[in-house]
Amino acid sequence: MNINGIGIVFTRGRGIDSFEKALQEGWRTPSQVEIKGRKSFAYQVDAQMLSDKRLLKKMRRADKLSKMAVIAAYEALAGSGIGDFNKKSIGIITATAFGAHVTTFDFLNDILDYGEANVSPTTFSNSVHNAAASYISSLLNIQGPTLTVTQFFFPFHSALQLAQAWLNEKRCDYVLVGAVEQYGDVLGYIYDSELTPASDGMIKPFNFNPTYQVPGEGSVFFLLSNKNHDDTFCEIHNVSINADEKDTLQADLDIIDTDGLVADESIYKNCLSPAIPVAAYSPLFGSMMTGSAFNCAAGALMLKKQTVYANPVADNPKGLNIVGETGRSNIELLRCIRYNCHGEKAEIYLRGKPNGEGREVNRQNQG
Amino acid sequence: MSESKEEELAQIRKTLKEMLVKDLSLEDIRPEDIKDDEILFGEGLGLDSLDAVEIVVLLQRNFGMEVKDMENRKDIFSSIDTLAKYIYENRKEVS
Repeated sequence: MNINGIGIVFTRGRGIDSFEKALQEGWRTPSQVEIKGRKSFAYQVDAQMLSDKRLLKKMRRADKLSKMAVIAAYEALAGSGIGDFNKKSIGIITATAFGAHVTTFDFLNDILDYGEANVSPTTFSNSVHNAAASYISSLLNIQGPTLTVTQFFFPFHSALQLAQAWLNEKRCDYVLVGAVEQYGDVLGYIYDSELTPASDGMIKPFNFNPTYQVPGEGSVFFLLSNKNHDDTFCEIHNVSINADEKDTLQADLDIIDTDGLVADESIYKNCLSPAIPVAAYSPLFGSMMTGSAFNCAAGALMLKKQTVYANPVADNPKGLNIVGETGRSNIELLRCIRYNCHGEKAEIYLRGKPNGEGREVNRQNQG
Repeated sequence: MSESKEEELAQIRKTLKEMLVKDLSLEDIRPEDIKDDEILFGEGLGLDSLDAVEIVVLLQRNFGMEVKDMENRKDIFSSIDTLAKYIYENRKEVS
């Protein structure tokens, strides 16, 4: 399946252009937050970024999580350059690890503060599992299957596998697949209690042990199909979870999801080859269980632009073959790798979009 | 109408407007933009039935109002003015 469009909302902006700009500009200090009286860091999305006059009126009741998801999905659709959609043939799959946990805690706080009879019905409706996906469906008038994959490990990978199944069985012509996570006080407290916060706000992706995390939030959506349009970014060649080692392909570049959410990330070293350059972009968007989606967006941009982006944080104590400079490159196959704390591995292979042949076919069909 | 009653009503109207803008997330409207006699639902301010449910909760929380079994609900929820008058006459102290 192909990536026809990408929409993104993250700490540095909204839209794929702002993500590309961040990849070119490199690391910036994240915003400071206070957790139980202690100063820490988080990559937060400014509320101003979510004010959208086109969507605002219908979105006013939505919480931050849903707003981020709607805007990313909208951008993916609009940025694809495909104007004529059959709304019934587009599916939506929202992947998340923690979902609307901020709103859920707000709801629980309301019960404690005001009693069960006086909790806000809006807060309740925003706290439910499928709220963000429902907002996307409602606001973008998409009438295909709409699902949320909530999973602690690899939710984005599972969502991609599901999208592939929908496309292959022709249940949908297009699927909007995305990830969304929100930062909140509770999450910040848990991260800081259970993992090591980066005291300087800098995730060091190649440190491996010890690791340092900085919580992030945001959303990235991909418009996927088996079609190859002019603006197609690349092909998602394969998505696997715990694949056999013999099925591993040699890529031109590896992107690793090291972000400090696993206390010891040394396992990543085992899957890297000294001959293959490695990159990690978590210092641009923060530590998230769905960070793979953001790294996948970076990979798709690389393949489309045939450009490699320098690692935003280049601390390299293990002497790995890391991407040091931004520049033109000739990449055909790229691998995004994420391990969980049990040593399970999820991989996404991205391949440069098929040559002109597919585009010619598409043009002929349109003609 | 006594001066103190008018002052209290003005304060309730101000609180109501701020409450609606903040708690109903009327992001493109300022409290001072809402007229005292502006129709709240439908063509006026554009609130809908979900907002009505939210207002019921807000009245309970902020003014100790029991809205269930309320007579003339439509008239009371008509505008800031009508809501303020109802609150003035029926509110309980919120601890």
